[in-house]
Amino acid sequence: MAERLANKLKERRGELGLTQAELAERVGVTRKTVNTVENGVFTPSTTLAIKLSQALGLSVEQLFWIER
Amino acid sequence: MTDRKVADRAEHLSRRRARMLPVLAILLLVQQGSFFTDHPGADRPVDQLKISAWLVLSAVILLALWTGGSWLQPKRVRELLNDETTQVHRTQAFRVAFLASMMGCIFLYFLTMFSRVETREAIHIILTIGLSAALISFGVLERRALRDG
Repeated sequence: MAERLANKLKERRGELGLTQAELAERVGVTRKTVNTVENGVFTPSTTLAIKLSQALGLSVEQLFWIER
Repeated sequence: MTDRKVADRAEHLSRRRARMLPVLAILLLVQQGSFFTDHPGADRPVDQLKISAWLVLSAVILLALWTGGSWLQPKRVRELLNDETTQVHRTQAFRVAFLASMMGCIFLYFLTMFSRVETREAIHIILTIGLSAALISFGVLERRALRDG
């Protein structure tokens, strides 16, 4: 069965009032990377997942989960 | 340069790169077209010049694809231009290029059964197929990623 990495990046970003560009700046990547992670197009590395969760004040497990 | 300026610059260059990649592929293909249409044996100075220009362009494209390019930009901008997604896209583009080159080799192998193909022509074809495939693939992936979410 196909598995995909789901996330609540967009939702959490919205709660904090951050734009994709602002979040990208905080974690040191481009807006393009945040956009692709948010849309589930790109699976981030562990390093980036940790940076994103730290920037959004959540644990990695709260921000990302596997959808079957 | 402030963080915001670095990010804006990287975003701008990233978009421009995504637009330029298919253009570069077309330029490379057109250059090959002229090599094959008026190729009298490559002994005139003008032919040598054309071949040199093609070699230089191919080498620069290959080096840019391999290293990430943007050599004249500040380090921080270059790092952003080659962030995680870009590196993955480049790797995928090289996979596509490898497959396309191998298929080109198979095609040329069969072609030599029916027609004589010069070594230099074969090199031109394989290199052009590989580089064009990498440029187009990288460009498509980058443009797709840059679409607004």
